Amino acid sequence: MKAVKYFSYEVKRLMRERPALLVIILSVLSPLAGLTLYRPASAGTMMSVYLANPALAGGAVSGILFGALTLYELDRTKRKRMEALTDAACPPTDTALIRTAALLPIAAAALMLTMLVWLPVSFFKIGSVMDLTNYCLAYLLFMGLALPSAILAASAAYQFTRRADLSFVLFAAFAGSSLTVWADDWQLCWLNPCVWALSDDFSNFRIFRSVAYMRLTWLTGLAGIWTLSWICVRRRGKGIIGSALYSCRRLYRPAAALLLLVCYGIGYAAQPIVDHSDPDPEVMTFAELPYLDGIVCSGRTAQVCPDTSDGTVDGKAVYMFSNSSGREQTAAFGINPGYTVYSAKANGEDAAFSVGGHQEFNEAMLEVAVPAEGDVELVVEYGGFPQESSGFSTHQGYTEISEKYICLQNAALAPRLLNVLPDEGGYPAEIEITLPEHMTVIPFCASEAERISANDGMAVWRYEDSGTGGILYAGDYICQNIEAGGIDIQFYYGRKHREVMETAGASEAVKTVVDYCTEHYGPLSFGSGGSLKLIQSRVYGGGYAGGGASLLDEEDFTSDNLNGSGKGAAPGEVMIHELVHQWWGLANMFDPSDSTDPWSAEGLTVYTAYRIVKELYGADYAEKYYTEQWRKETDDYYLNFYVREPEYLDRLPEDKRAEITGALSHVRQYCEMPLKILKAEKLVGGEEAMDGILSELFSREPDPAYPYLTYQNFLDACGLKEEDLELG
Amino acid sequence: MGKIFIYECKRLLCNKFFFGILLILLFYGRQVLNDITIMGVSHTAPFSAWSFGDYLSRMIPVLWIATLLFLTFFTSPAARRVSVLTDAAPMPPRRYEAVRCCAALAASVLTALVCIAEAAVFYGVYFGRCDIGSLTAPALVTALPAIMFALGSGRFLGQINERLVYIWMAAPLAAAALPLPGAMGIWNGSFFTEYPLLTGSTEPAFAVPAEIAAVQCAFLVCGAVMSVCRFGKK
Ligand SMILES: [Zn+2]
Repeated sequence: MKAVKYFSYEVKRLMRERPALLVIILSVLSPLAGLTLYRPASAGTMMSVYLANPALAGGAVSGILFGALTLYELDRTKRKRMEALTDAACPPTDTALIRTAALLPIAAAALMLTMLVWLPVSFFKIGSVMDLTNYCLAYLLFMGLALPSAILAASAAYQFTRRADLSFVLFAAFAGSSLTVWADDWQLCWLNPCVWALSDDFSNFRIFRSVAYMRLTWLTGLAGIWTLSWICVRRRGKGIIGSALYSCRRLYRPAAALLLLVCYGIGYAAQPIVDHSDPDPEVMTFAELPYLDGIVCSGRTAQVCPDTSDGTVDGKAVYMFSNSSGREQTAAFGINPGYTVYSAKANGEDAAFSVGGHQEFNEAMLEVAVPAEGDVELVVEYGGFPQESSGFSTHQGYTEISEKYICLQNAALAPRLLNVLPDEGGYPAEIEITLPEHMTVIPFCASEAERISANDGMAVWRYEDSGTGGILYAGDYICQNIEAGGIDIQFYYGRKHREVMETAGASEAVKTVVDYCTEHYGPLSFGSGGSLKLIQSRVYGGGYAGGGASLLDEEDFTSDNLNGSGKGAAPGEVMIHELVHQWWGLANMFDPSDSTDPWSAEGLTVYTAYRIVKELYGADYAEKYYTEQWRKETDDYYLNFYVREPEYLDRLPEDKRAEITGALSHVRQYCEMPLKILKAEKLVGGEEAMDGILSELFSREPDPAYPYLTYQNFLDACGLKEEDLELG
Repeated sequence: MGKIFIYECKRLLCNKFFFGILLILLFYGRQVLNDITIMGVSHTAPFSAWSFGDYLSRMIPVLWIATLLFLTFFTSPAARRVSVLTDAAPMPPRRYEAVRCCAALAASVLTALVCIAEAAVFYGVYFGRCDIGSLTAPALVTALPAIMFALGSGRFLGQINERLVYIWMAAPLAAAALPLPGAMGIWNGSFFTEYPLLTGSTEPAFAVPAEIAAVQCAFLVCGAVMSVCRFGKK
């Protein structure tokens, strides 16, 4: 009872103290840093820019502030020489516990206040795609839990050392490590979680789970360290060892410390989020596996049931083998390392199976014995929480499984057969997936998914595929059917994005671009069977296309991007730009290794968008909003100090130089190169001649060794030399 | 009197609080230099007087807040308690306050010098040149009026109400966000980014148009007057 009284007294006292108030005020302001100075989330989605970054910066800054406040408050009694006095009134361990605990409500108050203040700002900045779930989770996890961690760490440092300056240095080093050397290690960055993007249109539970896991393990660990330091709280004028020995007479204290630290160790080592794939991308033992003799696979089916509430998957995969070798053989499958294989049955009998420890490219190897019978039906039951690749641990979140979005790729969908050849049919596959009723299933291939039954709010979908892998998207999608360029296009985008897409005239843009580009450059190679799916994906940092489907990264369709300048004068024109990338910019079109190369996907894309706009709105409009802008920006670029005096650029250290070249490359790619192409157009004899050249370049037979379209290719096709296109 | 000035300076400078401010200032300065100044402002070199002036105008909010904090250092309740002791010293309180104001000014000027020195080191390391002469003019026209005005206005507001000084700290942030008239271009940095473009040449020499100079002078004088004069009750 006395403790409770003291605790509430302590909280009330803190609330009136100037330093605590200052820390609260600064904490409320701290998300500002995420809009300006500290922007760890690199993606361009609205949620990344206006929610993740402010919350992350808020966590980092207010975490440090609360650490400092903790030290200040703990040192206060010592400074004021009240120690002997308070020690007499209450055992020092109790006092220490209460002092640290009293800071937690202050931290909670700071968080609540921050969330209240920033809520309207976020709604205003993020617009129609903003929602409360993401907001609360982002602030609680990215910012909120940084505060108790910092308080525990600082308090532990003080209780060990009993010196404010020394513990401040320790705490600063601990926080500094998180911000620098540990910043790219998702488990170690205790202060600033490793978040690169939050999706606007779909959910973000996967990345929230990962951050929550990191936070909880650290809180456990720091609580353990704190308990250890608490044992060392000096009492009866004894030293650190004497006090610790005295404290340990109550056994639950060391036991609690030990338990917490062991929990932390286990939690750290056995994390379920990221796999242990071989970091060396040259290691491809799964791909080099020899095919088995005398055994072929004639088809497979899979029934997949994702659990959208806890982000797991359960599945049953059936493989049809015909084994003509007359002996038992071992079939190998790649399976997501997070999955457990529950059972394997061959023709109804239990078959021996094992999952290997080696992992590569986000797969572990499952080996199952295929008996020496002619036709074998192998049934594998598997399930669990899919892990993401360790190589992408700084870019987590793509294996999102929720009511809003699902993306299951290859071995995360069903075990991927590695060492058995198909019979004549290829590997025909029939996939069934059970999902909440409102979700649309979009297989990333030419075939359509068909809804075969529905009950209890769940629906079963079925589609045909071929091959050993396969990618499945599902989500709360809107589908628009558009006929353009002689093919049927299914344009899928997130329901939350409807407003933005409609404002930007998305479906008209699709029609315009596909018509124009098909006519001028030729049909898309991956549009198969007269149909093409354009799927807006969750933020991914790129896209891929093939087999009748192509991804559109949501990052390219945010209202910030659509309203931004450089890619077009109006949202609809930016939409056109992004869609033209389906022709110029996917897969093997441009060498992605040097992102500052002036010759990039952007040059031809910007040029094509300009031509489309010219056709739509006339030459004057295109001149005013395109060529004139390019000229202005390019002139500015030529005036830039580093362009005028390149020797100063060479003097700079490597990283600075790269940064500046990167900053300048935007103009070179988006303005200078289109101007050069425009100049080439004049030199080759007009628009029609240029269209002919580009059409040839688009449909050229790429060299497998270096499949990219180079600037030299372009110049050769035009019959021009590099100096012909110099602007001046 | 000199002795007391030195004592007050020492009290202000040899203090964790002063070093904390310096640390924040250096960190913020480094960010500005590395992210913005390094690109050069309005086509000019990063080490031109224009880019340097832009850097300083971005540092004004920090210098401003620092100056006001130095002032509150002498007027906070804790400082008042000390002043009960020092008031016993044989010196008229009016004189004594002037000395403290001078000490705050000295600390602010020192902070500004640190900020300038940081830029000079940055120029030396990255560009191998550091022409202090060309940096003097922008420093004088940008930092000095800001510090002086912060000191004067802060002292004035402090006499009305202690809390007003804290609110006043946000003033330059507001100035940076507001569309100020061209003559006040130094306070939101627009002068340094826009004026060189008007000259038409790529590396224009540093020049201050009359109206800007007049406004800065007015701020300087206002600040000086307010920090010397005494207002209100006794
Ligand atoms: Zn583009």
